Amino acid sequence: MHITAIWALMVKDARLYAANRLFALVTVLGLVAYIVIYFLLPATVDEMLHLGLVIPDTPSALSEMIDNDAVQVTRFTDVEALRKAVASGEVEVGFAFPADLYDQLRQGTQPTVELLLAPEVPPDFVSVYAAAARELSFTLIGQELPVVIKEEILGVDMTGASIAPRQRILPLFAVLVLMVECLGLASLIVAEIEQRTIRALLVTPLTVRDVFVAKTLFGSLFAFGQAILLLAITGGLVKAPLLNLTALSIGSVLMTGIAFLIATLGRDLMSVMGWGMLALLIMALPTFTVLIPGLAADWVRIIPTYYLVDTLHRSLNFSADWNDVSGNLLLLTAFALLSLALGMATLQRRWKLFLNN
Amino acid sequence: MAEPAIVAESLTYRYGNLLAVDHISFTVERGEILGFLGPNGAGKSTTVKILTGQLRPLSGRAILLGIDVARCPKQVHSRIGVCFEQPNLYEELSGVDNLHLFARLFNIRDVDIAGLLHRVGLDGRGNDLVGHYSKGMKQRLMIARALVNRPDILFLDEPTEGLDPTSAEAIRRIIREEQERGATVFLTTHDMYEADRLCNRVAFINSGRIVALDTPHNLKQQYGKRMVRAEVVGPDGSLLTREIVLDQPETAHEIANLLQHERVVTLHSEEATLEDIFIQLTGRALV
Repeated sequence: MHITAIWALMVKDARLYAANRLFALVTVLGLVAYIVIYFLLPATVDEMLHLGLVIPDTPSALSEMIDNDAVQVTRFTDVEALRKAVASGEVEVGFAFPADLYDQLRQGTQPTVELLLAPEVPPDFVSVYAAAARELSFTLIGQELPVVIKEEILGVDMTGASIAPRQRILPLFAVLVLMVECLGLASLIVAEIEQRTIRALLVTPLTVRDVFVAKTLFGSLFAFGQAILLLAITGGLVKAPLLNLTALSIGSVLMTGIAFLIATLGRDLMSVMGWGMLALLIMALPTFTVLIPGLAADWVRIIPTYYLVDTLHRSLNFSADWNDVSGNLLLLTAFALLSLALGMATLQRRWKLFLNN
Repeated sequence: MAEPAIVAESLTYRYGNLLAVDHISFTVERGEILGFLGPNGAGKSTTVKILTGQLRPLSGRAILLGIDVARCPKQVHSRIGVCFEQPNLYEELSGVDNLHLFARLFNIRDVDIAGLLHRVGLDGRGNDLVGHYSKGMKQRLMIARALVNRPDILFLDEPTEGLDPTSAEAIRRIIREEQERGATVFLTTHDMYEADRLCNRVAFINSGRIVALDTPHNLKQQYGKRMVRAEVVGPDGSLLTREIVLDQPETAHEIANLLQHERVVTLHSEEATLEDIFIQLTGRALV
């Protein structure tokens, strides 16, 4: 292996990358954008439930609820005021009991309780609020259920420690940073064939293996470096730095292999961008399991970046240690080595076809 | 006696159904300039690719400086310089950066970049991006790149193709200088003048086969016809051309007859060109 030659190739690729205005700009502006967005997003989660009520009187159970730190109850004088409050977002949900609630009950009619919901309330929660309305109704008419509710949190109690939006989005940014560098590397490789420079390289003492080592090192280190920068600025290296760095370094190797595959398929910059966008969409899918819990199905685990995203998320937000994520790291490593091997094999074949013509 | 610089033994290569190189054999002595002369598609570039290890022959061997290219290509690559038919420079880098890169690839730390640029006539343009170079400048830079490692064998594939006369002459000068340094030069071209002026020996290649290989002088002696070409004024006042083949029994009589009975405007002796000989041997022109 020619160390000097490999280093010379890496320096050359770095200069060509910087000379490509598109990728240089996207890299720098992207990094800045991710960091700005991170700090603009809320650092905390508002766990308070804002509840609006139109109710004839205040039973004791309601008084307990009003005293609860997790619920802020606002009483309104009439339904219209409550509707406006829900529509404006002042409260998330409103219960409107009719003013003549007790009269209707005495007369044997069925009073109507209006459940007013803000548009952003998840569909799953509607039935919960409806059940709460029924419970409150029983309480109002003095017919509370004779049961004692005992709460038990299985796992880490996230009360007061819910994952802030900026923390949820960090794995997505890490994947994006790696993918952009992946596209950059792929375009550099395709350019070697477009400009026929690969032919010039291979009539020197440089071997094909040397070229692959140089491309792998450049791609992985460049992507890794940017991911480290992102995490360092956003405080992501404070918790379990070695674990996070390990996950990112393996992720960088994974992306380098994907870059080789994209370079095999691409014929020019446009086709590299096309294939790269497709790869980006697929690789970014697992980040949505973090952003919107419960959104993605189990099949997302076949996407290699799932194991990177899950590791970072658990390490950064749930204080996971090496034991907790060892399975993830093993699978991520396997995927990384597979993508690298496959990428090298297909790209070498493409080079051979080019050189033989 | 030193072994030859290049030994080609029955080289064969095929692109699909097309036999591009058909069992060609030749040797090139050290310090010699051998020209491969042939039209487009004759197999010149394919032969260069086999000799430089870019292609593996279907059969036969290529031995450079005593090393089998197919078995030890990298040993060979450290001692050869290659200038390709089509430009393959890093256009987003400067001329200097391109040369520095290839010097590092050959692990050469003390290369005189300025000297190389001066040799190829690119003084003052070394820091410009290669993308801003003209075709002639790119070709000269490729020559400079091929000289970075002071090669024992220099392969030049159509080095003056499409160049202006000044650039072409500069490249020919460099080729002669390299020969004086002791390098062996393998040159492909379809420019007969270039082959005639530069090469110690010329090989005619057509449809993948060598049809003749000798010095330009011997080829002309063997295959060419010497003649006298005269322009005379015809009966209607127009200029007519008369050709008289030399070295024939009736030559003297014909020349005397011409001078006596025709109004001769110009009279020149000529020998066959390499292209004439090529056409005679292959039935094809060089371009």
